[in-house]
Order: sequence, then structure tokens, then C-alpha cells
Amino acid sequence: MSMADNNRYTVGISEHDQPGKLRRLIRFTTASWRLNLAGAMEFRLSFLLTVGTMMVNNIVWIIFWDMYFQRFSVLNGWTMQDVMMMWAAAAGGFGIMSIFFGNATRLASLIVTGQLDVYLAQPKPVLLNVLISRMSVSAIGDLLFAIFIFLAFGNVTLLGTIKFTAALLLSALIFIFFCVITGCLSFWLGNTEGLSFQLYNALLTFATYPTGIFKGFGRLVLFTVIPAGFISSMPVSLIREIDLNFLFGAVGMASALCVGGILIFYKGLRRYTSGNMIGLRR
Amino acid sequence: MISFSKPAKYIFIGKITLRSQLAYVVDFVIRSLFLLLILYIFMQLWQTTFAGEGTTAINGYTFKQMMWYLVFTESMVLATPSLCTRIEEEVKSGDVAFKLIRPVSFLAFHYVEYMSEVAIRFVINLLLGSTIAFLMVGSLPVGAGLAWLPLMAFGGFTVNFMLGMLVALSAFWVEETRGLEFVYNKILFTVGGMLMPLELFPDKLQQIGHWLPFQTIVYFPARTAVGMHHGEIAGMLAVQWLWAALIGLVVWFAYRKGVRKLNVNGG
Repeated sequence: MSMADNNRYTVGISEHDQPGKLRRLIRFTTASWRLNLAGAMEFRLSFLLTVGTMMVNNIVWIIFWDMYFQRFSVLNGWTMQDVMMMWAAAAGGFGIMSIFFGNATRLASLIVTGQLDVYLAQPKPVLLNVLISRMSVSAIGDLLFAIFIFLAFGNVTLLGTIKFTAALLLSALIFIFFCVITGCLSFWLGNTEGLSFQLYNALLTFATYPTGIFKGFGRLVLFTVIPAGFISSMPVSLIREIDLNFLFGAVGMASALCVGGILIFYKGLRRYTSGNMIGLRR
Repeated sequence: MISFSKPAKYIFIGKITLRSQLAYVVDFVIRSLFLLLILYIFMQLWQTTFAGEGTTAINGYTFKQMMWYLVFTESMVLATPSLCTRIEEEVKSGDVAFKLIRPVSFLAFHYVEYMSEVAIRFVINLLLGSTIAFLMVGSLPVGAGLAWLPLMAFGGFTVNFMLGMLVALSAFWVEETRGLEFVYNKILFTVGGMLMPLELFPDKLQQIGHWLPFQTIVYFPARTAVGMHHGEIAGMLAVQWLWAALIGLVVWFAYRKGVRKLNVNGG
């Protein structure tokens, strides 16, 4: 190899004249999302059917609640409007996680089957790289459903939009990092696919029922071990009117899960034992 | 055309399925934990609702009956395997070719397999659900209604198989059928009365629900088991089997038409 060749390669991998670290990360993340979406759109009919089906799934639940509220006008202070916004916050947060960080729910399986190897060999932050490498097509239906519900039944003012966006982001952060933490259990406990799935399923299920129906120990669990209460309370404690105690609690829980999730993942990664699977990422 | 003669071979298919299902009982019990979660949530929901109404019965259902109604409906729905996943995989992988050349009826084979699988799963779900309901709300009075549950559930699962197979057979025409199954399941959840009895529906929807086959799947068995409207059992059984026969006929025609259209690659 000649000196000229050497120089050319050195310039290629040098950080000189390259955008800053943060901008490079953003560029990498958006490129990953773009490619995921392009892959999903390859089969247009299947894509539209999957998205549509998920919207129908959520609409059916709204129909159930509509039937309920036609028979019983109020549920412990909750109205139909609150339940719809609860579904919007939960489906939207879940949608953001599954569209943009689709591997969050598959972390346990990736760890157990040694599929992290391929990410470890790449010069990108491992957790971010793992999370953004997959996109759930059906979850696009969830996010569209959340936006549709907000536009049709929400308070579409500047303040209302800010509050709804904040609810979506907090909900998404809780979903993502709760799943990361439960998935990381595999680093210590071996195959926890079943347990991680049950915990994630519990969060998702509890997040779609009004917090007002839970009392005592059940309510305590929903604001600690399975923090679904912070998602399902959004309609009454953030969107309808801001309850500062709740807001601080939700921000605190989201931040704790976020920091805890990242720390636990990298601590667990030290214990990770690679598989012998040969993988290739295009 | 493959005849239904020699029923012994179908009995053997059922026995083999039962044995293979029994090998995975522990796995199924772990997966059934979701049933406990959903029953806990619904207990909280209906407890709050009954407290809000300040009455001991809503549309004839007491709190205890409502909870046991949900035990039966949820146990049945969660016991149902996905026919679409099965048929779709058979068509996509080409395995359907082997099923079609066997000296057994394709539809009868799947029916026997489905019913054997459902039998084990339903019993497990019922044991789990009954334990949690017993601990939470106390026992369901053992009455004539409960005695009719096995027969009613048998009819309900048969109608569910027919409707599920009708959706699954669309795999002979289109590649993706799971979306359709998803929508069908959601109809069962609502109009079918899985989430709440039809009596609690708004009047118009209640009338529509009574003209559809979905009520026969979980609503009829659960309603009978909790002791509602004993006088209507004979009528309910007649409606259930009428729908089973009608949909069965449509399934038969769809299968005959579909199997001529089917192109199998690989296998």
C-alpha cells in the first residue's frame, strides 16, 4: 500500500473535518430509522394492513370503554374523555418505543442468544445501536392512533399540545427503560425471556386501565415496581390539569429508569458472554 | 374427496395432540399468568363500578357472578390457539401439500387437533382462574348452570373453530391472514361479550349482538355457568349448533374453492 493510499484511509477514519460527536450520533440514529422505515415500506400492502390492524385493535378498546361509559357515566372520577387520553398516552408512548427503539422489548432474547456480538464490534454506543436497530411496523398504527385521538378529542391548543407531547415523551421513556432494565436481567439470571415479557406485558396492560380503580397495595405497586401508574394517570394529573407532585414524580421516575437502565446495561455487559453465532448487519 | 370414514384415525389424532400438549403443561401454566393479571384488573374495575352504582346487582349480575363470568370467558378465549398462524405457516412453507395428500380430511384433522389442544388449555385456565376467583370473591354456587358448562363450552369452541378456520382459509388466497384474525378476536372481545355480558350493552348493540354468531362462543357458556336464565339453555344450544352447522357449511365451500386455487411452492 502506497503512502497516498495510507493518507486517504487516515483521512477517512479521522475525526478531522467531521461533525461533532453529538451530530454524528444524531446522523447515525436518523439514518438507522430511515433505513428501518424503508425496509418496512418494501411490502406496501403488508405494511398498510399491519398498521391498520393495530389501529383497529386500539379502536376496539375505545368502543369497549364507550359501551361502559354509556352504561355507567363516571368511574371513580374518570370520564370517557380521560380514558381516551389515557389510551392515547399509553399507545403513543408504546408506539414511540417500538418504532424508534424497537429492540427494547427483545433485549433479553438478544443477550441470551449471543446476538449482542455484532453490536459490540461496531464503533457506536452499544445500547443506542441495539435499541434503534429494529422498528416494529405495527407500532406505527399505535402512534397514529394516539395522534388521531388527541386531534379528535384532546385539547388542541398550544398548551394542550405541549402537555400531550410531554405525556407522550414521559410515557415513552418509562416504557423504553423499564424494558431495558427487565431485559438486562438476562445478564445475571440467564434466560429471562419469559419473565421479562411478563413484566413488560404487566406494564403495558396496567397502563391502559384507569389508575382510579386501583387501591392499597395494588396502587403502590403501580407507582413503584411496575410504574404503569405514571402513564395511566397522565390524563387526570397532567393533561386535564397539572398536578405538580405527580409531574415531579413522573419526571423523577422517567429519569431514574433512564439513568438506571443505562448503568445496569453497561454493568451487565461486562458479564456478557458471547455466543458463537456469526451475524452480519447491513 | 377424502371421506370421514374410520373415525378411529381422528380419535388417534386427538390422543396424540393431547399427549403432546401434556408435555408442555408447565410452559402453558407460566404463560397463563396473564389470566391472573387480567382477572385482578377486572376485579378492581367491577369493584369500583359496583361501589359507584351502590347496588348489589347490575342488570341481574351480582359482583360475584360478574367475576366468575369473566373467569369463564377469559379462560375460554386464552385457551384458543391461533389457527391463522398454523394454516398460514403451512401454506407459506409448503407443508400444506403433505396435509392435503394424507388420507384424512384437512378440516376434520384441524378440528380434532384444535379441540384436543383447547381441552387441555381450558382446564388449566379454569383451574387457575377459579383459584384466583375463589380467593378474591368466594366460591360460585354450584348449580344446574355449571353442569351445562362442558356442553356449552364444546359448542362455543366449535363455533370459534369454524369462524377461525374461515379466516385462516383466506391464506389460500392472500399471504397475510394474522391481521384479519386480530380483528376477529377483537370482535369476540366486544360484541362477543368476553369483556362484559351483552345485557350491559347499549340496546341497539345488544340487539345486533343477538343476531350474530359471536355471542354463542363465550357469552352463552359463561352466562349459563354463572346461573343466568336457566330456562333459555335449550334455545341457546339450538342457536349455537345452528351457527356451527351454517358456518361449517361456508367453511366447507371455502375450503373446496380455496384448495383448487392453491399453488404450493417448496414443501
